[in-house]
Amino acid sequence: MDGNSLSVIKLKNILLVTVPDDPGDDTIQELQNKVLNAIEKYESKGLILDISNVNILDSFFARTISETTQMVALMGGQTVIAGMQPAVAITATELGLHLGKAISTLDVDKALDIFTDNFKTV
Amino acid sequence: MGCENTGECHIGSEGDIVTCRKVIRNVATAAGFGMTDVTRIVTAVSELARNVYVHAESTGMMRWNILQQPGKVGIELIFEDQGKGIADIDQAMEAGFTTANSMGMGLSGVKRLMDEMLISSELGVGTTVRVVKWGRIK
Repeated sequence: MDGNSLSVIKLKNILLVTVPDDPGDDTIQELQNKVLNAIEKYESKGLILDISNVNILDSFFARTISETTQMVALMGGQTVIAGMQPAVAITATELGLHLGKAISTLDVDKALDIFTDNFKTV
Repeated sequence: MGCENTGECHIGSEGDIVTCRKVIRNVATAAGFGMTDVTRIVTAVSELARNVYVHAESTGMMRWNILQQPGKVGIELIFEDQGKGIADIDQAMEAGFTTANSMGMGLSGVKRLMDEMLISSELGVGTTVRVVKWGRIK
């Protein structure tokens, strides 16, 4: 597994991470570490996880997303999960998975809208 | 019931979970399963392969067979390990039950994703989980 497969992109005061289509456990763990370090470094207000390429979401991945959301929240940030594929949404629901306190949007554009709207009202 | 396609994967490392998923994604797609069923099958593989990796100290195998019956095609997946075994299978099948650091959705969730599921286990000897998913031939 390539340890440098994930990039965390800083967009103004939020972070964008695009998750690869079939992420291994180590990639998912790496995601959590990279995101938390980047939030501290850039003082980000939020995280967008673009999972539009992801074609499998199992209980390990769901738990890590849920935990990461919780950790980001403890650091004062909001997590938005963007772009879940229909087949993944069906399977995740049947499997009984939940993503904790993360908000979901249809795509990254709508995720960005959430942050833009939120910051206007603050 | 004839088997045309068959194969196996060793589960000895975390990376093998991804390998199992990729192999079965290709096999299930080639067998004619639709996108949603392929996702169900691959997700079940991920859960069961991880169980073998986590609970059986990497001593396991996944075997797969394509089953053909009039008007339908099936994929049979058998996960075998020589791990410590499951003390209480009924309890392990309950939603929320976990001995590992997970959501406890693994086995009960897999049962919902697949059409058939059978677990046999003996303490100190190992565990075998057999699941089947059926699809209509288009």
